[in-house]
Amino acid sequence: MRKNAPVAITGIGCLSAAGMSMKENMASLYTGKRRAAPPVRFSSGHPAPYPVFEVLDDPLSEYSPQHIDISRTCRLGIAAALEALRDAGLDPGQTTGLKVGVCMGTTVGSAMNNEEFYRDYRNGMHPDMKIIERFLAGNPASVIAREFRLNGPCQTVVNACSSGTDAIGVGASWIRSGICDMVIAGGADELCRVTYNGFISLMIADSSPCRPFDRDRKGLNLGEGAAVLILAADRVIKEEKMKARAFVLGYGSASDGYHLTAPSPEGKGLRNAMTDALMESGKAAGDIAFINAHGTATRDNDRTEAMVLREMLHEAPFFSTKGYTGHALGAAGAIEAAFTVACLESGMIPANAGFISPDPELGISPVVENTRISQGVAISDSLAFGGHNAVLVLGLDRG
Amino acid sequence: MEIYINGIGVVGGFGAGTKDLITCLDNGSSPVKASDKGLGYTFPADTSRLEDFVQKRALRRIDRFSQLAILGAYLALQDAGMPLLAGKRTGLIVCSGYGASQTTFSFLDSLINDGDACASPTLFSNSVHNSAAGHITILLKLGGPCLTVSQFEMSVPSALMSACQWLSEGRVDQVLFGAVDEYCDVLGYCWKRFFGEAADGTMRPLSHGLQSAVPGEGSAFFLLSRDKTDHSRYGYVADVRTGRMKDREIDVSEDALYILGADGHKGCDALYGHFIPWGIHAACYSPIYGSLPIGTAFDMAVAALCIREKRIFSSPESVADQGRYKIVRQASPMTGGSIICLKLAKDHEFGMITLMPI
Repeated sequence: MRKNAPVAITGIGCLSAAGMSMKENMASLYTGKRRAAPPVRFSSGHPAPYPVFEVLDDPLSEYSPQHIDISRTCRLGIAAALEALRDAGLDPGQTTGLKVGVCMGTTVGSAMNNEEFYRDYRNGMHPDMKIIERFLAGNPASVIAREFRLNGPCQTVVNACSSGTDAIGVGASWIRSGICDMVIAGGADELCRVTYNGFISLMIADSSPCRPFDRDRKGLNLGEGAAVLILAADRVIKEEKMKARAFVLGYGSASDGYHLTAPSPEGKGLRNAMTDALMESGKAAGDIAFINAHGTATRDNDRTEAMVLREMLHEAPFFSTKGYTGHALGAAGAIEAAFTVACLESGMIPANAGFISPDPELGISPVVENTRISQGVAISDSLAFGGHNAVLVLGLDRG
Repeated sequence: MEIYINGIGVVGGFGAGTKDLITCLDNGSSPVKASDKGLGYTFPADTSRLEDFVQKRALRRIDRFSQLAILGAYLALQDAGMPLLAGKRTGLIVCSGYGASQTTFSFLDSLINDGDACASPTLFSNSVHNSAAGHITILLKLGGPCLTVSQFEMSVPSALMSACQWLSEGRVDQVLFGAVDEYCDVLGYCWKRFFGEAADGTMRPLSHGLQSAVPGEGSAFFLLSRDKTDHSRYGYVADVRTGRMKDREIDVSEDALYILGADGHKGCDALYGHFIPWGIHAACYSPIYGSLPIGTAFDMAVAALCIREKRIFSSPESVADQGRYKIVRQASPMTGGSIICLKLAKDHEFGMITLMPI
């Protein structure tokens, strides 16, 4: 396969606060349904709770994983992988003979930050080591590989908020180079008190439902969820009688080299990542039907992102889905890639939830109602702590 | 695949830089330190040389985890003696088993001590796994692709595979590739609860049935390029593989030297006995840098140094020899052939990195 060849997506699974399946998620997006509320699974000491987008149902209510004592992040990841494998027409656990890799993005899923354990440790008590055992057995990529008895490479990408986007880019590269026949690529992340308090401490969380790209935006709401794309080599698609739903046409990644938590004011890294992704895809700005933006609703992110979109892709409509899902951190990029494919398939993009007033400083505004699109290529982008930026170009055809 | 190694930067219990590592390899040991909190022994790393490269003031808000990584990165660049390519042509890949553990716990301290509303934003932003990579891109003004990977014991082969991919597909021309892990008291506590205390701080890897691992910390960085340069003294990465073994022995090459990633954990060390055919030509250097998830990066550094020095270092005496393997017991000239760094871990995971002399 040539170095920039399109990589087929044969199955998609997704769950978030907007729905427990890909279908439910898209229904929420197109009907404008969103549910931001104070966290249910944990409490906090803030005078007024900050809303979150929480997955309230059991992600694995109809499936029992081999190892029951796994983290919530892993349960979310397995649920998304299961839906994606079934969507691809595959029987999970029956991919023997294929070299199947797993590349998953996360943040919380790789962090040893259990408060219960640490409080007991600090207090000189005898903390339960099962918590640590669960952490050590809970690498998201490895757990999925173990669950579905896969023998290919595993990689858990921890690029903060762009992890899911990067994981799909890395997975596509494994297919192109022949390292894998198939890759389970995406991201999974759970809500937890530590990240909740962390983002509030940075003063980039909104105490009301988030308003991406709005003039009066005050910050993000955290979310949780998972999404998985099944990436497959052409030979395997034929052998397994799968069908390509869409293609990864290009991937770009670039650093700002500017600040640990704020994007470069000039959008240097995002510009570079977008340029590289477009170049790899062989597409021009005019080919892009829409952009599923990162759009966290923080002042800095939306300002930088809007500037780059305005200058590089000024005619393409754009929106953020954070108003439906919250910011699911390491899963966000994968969830948004999944939404991007579904929007291309349906020929319609959703309204940017939470947007009311145009921001004159941004110079552009997202779509405010469900909008028909006619072209078959779109962009999904992510900006992350560490000054990292990642961009995917996705298309319905090989291009 | 031919991915050239142009420079190496290492920091660990043995010191900082390839010279310190070679000294300890030649001596067959590194200094271990007994914990003053009753948490056994460690191989503590020293980051003081970082001030040779970065002004002290600039380091104030950078935690020790990132400092270990930054020092490794600067040492690799200094060792290479070649400039980084400007703009987008240099990529950065960092991997870690545990990430910034101490900073994560310090952030929890701020929550517990000061309350949710007064948690420390600086600690939170430094606790993110890709903070080390972020600091390196800022200090070195890197604008290319950047990736951080956390895959426990398979972090190094998994991340190196991506570095080789980026170079092979022409995404970049150079990759600064590194691995980092730090020791902290909570880790020491967990270690003690899981394994008890090592009797004397001596690691005895491959002593099947004996738990002798001593926690290490540090970083190992490599400046990699797709094209051979005048600085490619360390040979090249010829192959990287990782995945899950079936219930059979690994196919081995008879003329290769295997650097075994056994590190004194009896559960993992037993895997080598189970999956590796007897009689292979092998070495093991973990007693020089300790047991840590990214130990394979140090194995890779030693393999590259064998190629540069044209000699194979002797395994430390404490490496057990039960007659299964032809363990390198005396330093000997390197006469060609490949060096394969082999790491086995639970759930039958494996990682193999093959280095070849030019």
